[in-house]
Parts: sequence; C-alpha cells; structure tokens
Amino acid sequence: MAPIIKVENLHKHFKVARHRRGFLGAFRGLVSREYETVRAVDGISFEIGRGELVGYIGPNGAGKSTTIKILAGLLVPTGGTVIVNGRVPWRERKSHVATIGAVFGQRTTLWWDLPVIESLELLQYVYDVPPERFRRNLAEFREMLELDQFLETPVRSLSLGQRMRADLCAAMLHDPMLLFLDEPTIGLDVVAKERIRQFIRRINRERGTTIILTTHDLSDVEKLCERVMIIDHGRLLFDGELSELRNRFGGEREMVVYFDQEYDEVAVDGAEVVSRNGKRVTYRFDGHEITASELIGRISARHRIRDLSVREADIEDLVRKIYEGRLLEAPDAG
Amino acid sequence: MRRTIDIYLRLISVQIRSQMQYRASFLMSLSATALITFLGFGSLAMVFWRFDNIGGWTLWEVGFLYGMVEAAFGTMDLFFSGFNPHIFSRLIRMGTLDQILLRPLSVTLQVLGSSFIMKRLSRISQGALIFVISVAMLDVHWTPAKVAYLPLVFFGLMCFFGGFFVIGSTLTFWTVQPIEVVNIFTYGGREMIAYPMHIYERWMRDFFTYIVPAIFLNYYPALYFLEKPDPFGMPDFAPFLAPVVGVGMLVASFAFWSYGIRHYQSTAT
Repeated sequence: MAPIIKVENLHKHFKVARHRRGFLGAFRGLVSREYETVRAVDGISFEIGRGELVGYIGPNGAGKSTTIKILAGLLVPTGGTVIVNGRVPWRERKSHVATIGAVFGQRTTLWWDLPVIESLELLQYVYDVPPERFRRNLAEFREMLELDQFLETPVRSLSLGQRMRADLCAAMLHDPMLLFLDEPTIGLDVVAKERIRQFIRRINRERGTTIILTTHDLSDVEKLCERVMIIDHGRLLFDGELSELRNRFGGEREMVVYFDQEYDEVAVDGAEVVSRNGKRVTYRFDGHEITASELIGRISARHRIRDLSVREADIEDLVRKIYEGRLLEAPDAG
Repeated sequence: MRRTIDIYLRLISVQIRSQMQYRASFLMSLSATALITFLGFGSLAMVFWRFDNIGGWTLWEVGFLYGMVEAAFGTMDLFFSGFNPHIFSRLIRMGTLDQILLRPLSVTLQVLGSSFIMKRLSRISQGALIFVISVAMLDVHWTPAKVAYLPLVFFGLMCFFGGFFVIGSTLTFWTVQPIEVVNIFTYGGREMIAYPMHIYERWMRDFFTYIVPAIFLNYYPALYFLEKPDPFGMPDFAPFLAPVVGVGMLVASFAFWSYGIRHYQSTAT
C-alpha cells in the first residue's frame, strides 16, 4: 500500500538575526543585522504507512515541530519533497488541511468564550461535515472522552485536561486520515494522561487513523507507539521499532542485590558496581556480554544473596544517551 | 460563495456573543467612545463659535465631511476589526494564526471573522448623526446621481482605510509588533480628511494627493455634493474617483497581504 506520508531529503533553514549584547549592541542591531542560518531540519527522509502510530521524539529545538508544521501545510520547506496523501501540503493548503487533524499541545483550536459544544458545532461548518456524520462522531467522542460534564462550559473555564479532550474531539470530528498530536499529555496528571492515551489508541485501532505523536513524555511512546523516530539537530538519529531501539541500544541493565551481610569486597567480573549502600549493591552490566543468571551465579559463588531485582534500561535513559551522542554510531541512522 | 457568507456570519456571531458575555464592560466602552467622538466634534464646534468658518467652509459643511469620515472609518473599523494591526499582531504572537492556517478556509475570511468590535458602533452612529444633522442644516441640492453616488463614496472610504489596516497587519509578519508609522496614515489620515483639504500646507496636500491619494476619498466628493468650485483645477472626474481609489487601495493591500502570508509560511518558527 502506498504510504500516506513520503518525505525525502527535507530541509528547513531559518535565518535568525544574531543578537548583539548590551544597549549599544541592540542599537547596532537596528542598523545592521548579521544573520545566522539555523538548520532546523537538515535532510530528513522517511515514509509513514496508513494506520501507523508513530512517536516522533527529540529534545527542544531538535526540529520536531518544524517537521510537523511542514507536514501540516503551515510551513514551506527550504528543500526536499513532501507528499502527504498525494498532495504537497503547502501548495494545496485548504484541501490538505481538510483531511488532517492537529492538536498543538498548549494552544486550543476552540473559541475561547464559547461553550465547548458550540465550538464543535461551528467546526462542523468549517469542515463542512455532513450532519449525520457529525452527530455520529460527536456521540462517539462524547462517550470516549467523557465530554458531557463540560460540554456547556466556556472553553476559557476548562481545566487543561478537559481542554485537551475537547481539542482532541475537535480534531477528529471531520474524520481526518492523519492526526498530528504535539505534546498531547503535557502538564496532565496520570489519570488524565491515561484517558488521552486510551483515546489515541482507540481511534488508531478502530478508525485506522494514522497518528504522529510528538512528546517529551516517553511513557506516551512506550505505551502507544510501535515505531519511533528520534530527531536531534535536524537529523533523524533513529527510525524503527521500539523493541529494536531497546535491543540495539538497551544492552545495559542494572541489578540490585541485597546481601545477607555487608561484604568488604563485592566486585565481580563482567559488571560494574554503580552504588553501594550497606547490604544493598547496584551492579551495571551489558546484557550482550553476560546474562543476568550468569551474573547471579558469579556473585552467589562468593556471597550470600538474600534478594535481587533486575532493571531494564528504560527508554528515557536510552534516548538521553542517543542525544548525548554516545550511541551515535548506529549504522543505518539518518 | 454562499458557504463563505454562511461561515463568515457564524464567525461574526461568535464574536458578538462573546462580547455580550461581558455586558458591563461592553456598555461602558460603548458610552466612552460615544463621549470621545462627541468631544471631538464639540471642540470643532468651539472653533466655529470663535471663527464662524474654516477656510471658507461653514460648520455644517465641515460637519458633512467630518460625519462622513467618522461613520465610514467606524464601519471599516468594525468590519476590519480582525485586521486592526494591534489585534492581528496578537494572532501571530499567540500562535492563533497557525490554527487559522490549519482550517480549510481562506485565511482572509478567518481573520475578518476573528474579531468584530461592537463598541465601534458608537463611532458609526455619532458620525452618522453629525452627517445627518449637517445635511439637514445645509439644504443640499440632491439629485438622483448624488443619492446613488453617496454610498459609493462611503464604500470607497471604507476600502481605503481598510487597506491601511491590511498593510499594517501585513507588516507585523516581519515585525511582530505593530508599527506606529502606519497609524500616521490610518488615524492621522482620518483626522486629516475630516477637514477641507485646502486649509493645509501645499506639501501636505500634495502628499495626500499624489502619494496617498486621500483627497479623492472625501474632499472632492464633498465638492461635488455641496456644489463647490474646485480650487486646485483637477479634471472634472476627480470627485468620482473615490470608489476607484478606495477599491484600488484595498486590492493592492490584499496583494501585499498574500505576499506576507507566503513570507510567514516560509519563516515562522
């Protein structure tokens, strides 16, 4: 099947005026400006198939939202080709945005002073949704997102979580094939996050909506996405399955051991002592070199173990390491 | 087209309902604006009380000009609320413009529908009142042609000042903050053409004739309506340029606007 998104060698460069320091500098900046070129997106290529749910992650300023804005038709790139749903987003903005939905975390698409329901009804006309389909969708989303308790409340009085639910509903009313979610769980409590994740999962599975999710919260990615793309400095560092990311980079694991008594010498071959606190010792080992049971064997050959636990490298750590460039030698990255 | 109008009316109705929610503030600003406008004309009347004419024009003749400009500018200010540079620049700063670009509607339509400042009604009604009183006092010689031309002049004035709003808003694509210089043309221009142009210095009049052709929007039509001689010897069709100049101004400013949007789409971060 043809991919819904095809991006080839995408570039977006910005000219940014260099700020001079101090009063005199500001004055000189008025007269003559020096510009610096920032490569927000610096040669990215990828394809996304219909129905995929992709996590797009990267630190602040990595080029995430620039990419999303280009895909959504808001920004025109400096170079490269982008085809979304058979269209070049920025060339056919109106027909393109009619087929996508977007929620940009902190901003609402709803009318501030209107009750939620009236905003949604207005969007029915904006997107020209047939009344029957609008009713059906609204009924479904009201139930899924539990909107009923605040449908009549003006948007300005909603809590962040409620507003996000209302915005998700607004983004889906016209049955978009493609949904962009930029930080949909930012600032929400655990329960609210979970409700939103469930919604995302359901619309992806039940409606086949292709979803691109950018987030700081890696547990969003862990719980929702099979595929993850990691971007930094405008380049794609990793594009693949989450499990592959773990396998490839997640060799490091930790084992916390509680000994029967305090030993003077706890070092063993194949593992590094990370911390030591009385009878509790934390080892770090590389899963590719030694298995957990081998390590347990080596330790228990010398000392008596009372209890232990093994911790998987969590993806937050992995991603941090990737950003830090420690694992950058990935052969097929970029 | 019908869909466009339908959406526009819905967007405007949102703006009106939003303002009604803050009733006290709405009524207060309405009466404050009314007071200021009346004070404006009041001070004009004071001048006449001392001098009994301005450049040979009576109070009611100046009132004809003044009322027309106030009413037309006020109407423009109402319908182009979204293009008021101070209001539009907020759309850019708050990222609302991105939300607008995400909807399958014309950007211009949505900006027009993004604000509708009802308190402008007071300026419109004050202007209309001054105009009507002046006409009543003047005993204007109305012909069918004059009656037909009056709304066109009004429309031309609206388009002309609307153009400055659009230009001022477009500039904020580059500057983010609205540029005060534009206000010289919009608000300064409004003050200026509320009085007969022959009272001004030559260089100023030339500026508003050849660079910013405001003189054709109000002064020349007024000469025609009041059947006064043209002191500058312009061609006979000069009084009838108002709609052409107004619409031309608006069309040109919307061309600049489209260019501004393209610029925004290639630089916005």
